[in-house]
Amino acid sequence: MIRFVARRVLAAIPIGLIVTLGVFALVFAMPGDPLRELAGDKPIPAAVLAAKRAQYHLDDPFIVQYLLSMKDILTGNFGTTFAGADIADQLRLRIPVTLKLTLLANAFQWTLGLFFGIYAGFKRNGLVDKSLLLATLVLLAVPGLVAYFAAQYLFGVELKWFPVSGVLEGFPRSYLLPALVIGLLGFAGLARLMRTSIVETVNADFVKTARAKGLGEQRVLWRHILPNALLPVVTFIGIDLAGMFGGAIITESIFNLPGLGQFMFQAIKLKEGGVVVLLSTLAFVSFILINLAVDILYGVLDPRVRHV
Amino acid sequence: MTLSLALVLSSCGDGNGDGSGSGTGAKSEIIAIAADPLEYINPLNDNGSPGIQVAMAMFSPLVTTDPNTGKTVNVMAESVTPDKTSQTWTVKLKAGNTFQNGQPLTAKDYVDSWNLTAQGSNAWKNNGFFSKVDGYDELNPPTPDGATPKPTAVKAMSGLKLIDDLTFSVKLKVPFSQFGLTLQYLGLAPLPEEVRKNPDAYKRKPIGNGAYKLDGEWNAGEDIKLVKWDGYKGPNAPEADSITYRFIPNADTAYNEFLAGTVDFVDVPPTKIKTFKTDAPDGWVTGVSSGANYLVMPAWDQRFKNPKLRHAFSMAIDRKAFADLVGLATPASGLIAPDMNGYREGACKYCSFDAAKAKQLLQEAGGFSGPLNINYNTSSATGQIFAEAIGNMLRQNLGLEVKYTGKQGSEIGELADTRKLDGLRFSGWGHDYPSIEDYLTPMFKSNGDANFSGYSNPALDKVLAQGDAEPDPEKAIAIYQQAEDIALEDMPLIPLYTKSNAYLHSAKIEPRVSKYVGVSALYATFK
Repeated sequence: MIRFVARRVLAAIPIGLIVTLGVFALVFAMPGDPLRELAGDKPIPAAVLAAKRAQYHLDDPFIVQYLLSMKDILTGNFGTTFAGADIADQLRLRIPVTLKLTLLANAFQWTLGLFFGIYAGFKRNGLVDKSLLLATLVLLAVPGLVAYFAAQYLFGVELKWFPVSGVLEGFPRSYLLPALVIGLLGFAGLARLMRTSIVETVNADFVKTARAKGLGEQRVLWRHILPNALLPVVTFIGIDLAGMFGGAIITESIFNLPGLGQFMFQAIKLKEGGVVVLLSTLAFVSFILINLAVDILYGVLDPRVRHV
Repeated sequence: MTLSLALVLSSCGDGNGDGSGSGTGAKSEIIAIAADPLEYINPLNDNGSPGIQVAMAMFSPLVTTDPNTGKTVNVMAESVTPDKTSQTWTVKLKAGNTFQNGQPLTAKDYVDSWNLTAQGSNAWKNNGFFSKVDGYDELNPPTPDGATPKPTAVKAMSGLKLIDDLTFSVKLKVPFSQFGLTLQYLGLAPLPEEVRKNPDAYKRKPIGNGAYKLDGEWNAGEDIKLVKWDGYKGPNAPEADSITYRFIPNADTAYNEFLAGTVDFVDVPPTKIKTFKTDAPDGWVTGVSSGANYLVMPAWDQRFKNPKLRHAFSMAIDRKAFADLVGLATPASGLIAPDMNGYREGACKYCSFDAAKAKQLLQEAGGFSGPLNINYNTSSATGQIFAEAIGNMLRQNLGLEVKYTGKQGSEIGELADTRKLDGLRFSGWGHDYPSIEDYLTPMFKSNGDANFSGYSNPALDKVLAQGDAEPDPEKAIAIYQQAEDIALEDMPLIPLYTKSNAYLHSAKIEPRVSKYVGVSALYATFK
């Protein structure tokens, strides 16, 4: 077990380097001068430009800029953004916002997905099953951008059930609407997967054997069907959860939630390589950790893949 | 953005935007700002919206533009007087004004704040303003590429002289008749001594000299809550008792917040130009936005050299149709924005749409070789649409082959500055102080700060210098108008349109609308 975890963590280091270097290169390759972007149309005196460039290492060659950024990240010396914000402060404020949004959205998505998926799996071709298929097609076809603005307008502006945007009303009220929309847009896929998995497992030989042995339906369901049917679903949930850090950019922008996604958006807009790399590193580390947790959970569900 | 829960407890909108819950009085308003939250308030280190917008409530300028007459009137200044040549200006302050920390506002505060800003190694954004002042260069020595500018041994510009407690003088490098007007720029606000000593410590607790001060603490990501400062003795105090600036970076979201009744004032984003009048039938205003928009001809490309060709391009554009496409826009007929003193309707002789004349002019100029490239900004939602509209007019009316290139705005600017940009681009300019000179010098003087086209004409430079040296304001305007005529004759920039902005406001406030200074929520009246 410990060896397995150590191996995974060690393997993550070179991958992390490649990912951050790649992201940094992408930001670096974006056209335009970041300080010019910041200044708009108004001219900035040469001395001011020179001072800013030196402060953000913008005059250094690519690889030196990357190494300086990595050094800042690893030593916890985050500095300030181009606009003058203290980055450590920003992280302290923003990580809880993104966590609240992500976890609430996932809670909706899993509850809906697992419930409808399991139900449809057992009642194949029933009303729920067929509506689920239809709902999946409809929901997968709706672009997130449209759904977010439509929900904001309908439930925030017209009906006033939820705040339009911002986090003034705190948790959970300010987060409910965006999390619900994310959950609704995402649950259909999860439910379909769950349903298919249940259908396959219910017809598997070992379930028939269990029934033939004379085991009760409850025991068959909880000990034989669900643990096996959940395996692919756990993988899906893990990847989904890990990916949500990146996916929150649009939602956080539209609902004005000051989380990491919004921070990332600002940083990309202003070509702030250092901030983008820092946030990518954070996302990467959380991705590795969540995947590790999923793999360990896997072993709990399925002794065949247990790591010793 | 708005993490503090202590800020707004009663934020359930009641349709009138009365959600501030401050309890300091009935006259409170919440102004939405569609931008990322501010990280500091320091007008000397801020050169645009929203930093200056918020600073306007907290700091008071030396002089300002009267919204009714367009004339410059004194605020903190008792008088601003040039010498005979307009090279040395004496500023006398009114007595009895103080900072919000109780310290009296003195001439030394101005001189020291300006010197601090002029110091290049501080990298403050309004540093460039002082480049006209004698002794600026000593504080901004050339720095080799890649080196960090070092603080200079000289800490003060030789052109700034303290005369007494309330009087100081500014000696400029060359005569400049418009300098008095530039003093209304809020980026010249004074900072008190304790802030000057350690500006970073006061990033989030500014001490101003204006009508409003911070109400409580202001932490990262929060709304800015201001309350009337009872120590303000200057003129022009707005009516509101308290003002909240709320940052909502997504402009469409800010607009929706207004519709839900949680904010009192919002800018109409470009995406809502067609619908805002029906969305808020009783609560919209429009006002000219100070500024003008142009099509830029590259001086570094020989194909555009002939002025007749430039006039042909200009006359091939149907400005009326284009302004309709832009929405809330007026076709331009000169290089100056229409709200300026000295604007002449119809100054441009080549700005009327006449396809036949345009074709003839192009023929006289010897035609245009190769495809014409039009650059547009990909980060603007309308960049490509506008470029294709202009391109189609030039193609249909002049028979040109047109192609389009989309790039980031900053990249277009960089290519233009290094004289590598191929073809036309769009540009806009808004003045920092209300003088037609602030259009002509930056954009048309050789090496002007915003000379996007690389244009240079010694004759025009000479006329500008004459205007700068003319102490009589009316005569100076007449001279500057000659410079505009030269620029229109050479036409490095083709005037396109001037834009109006639209705003929505709640039922309880009526924003101030002025033909000279546009729409102001800060100076709204309450019902």
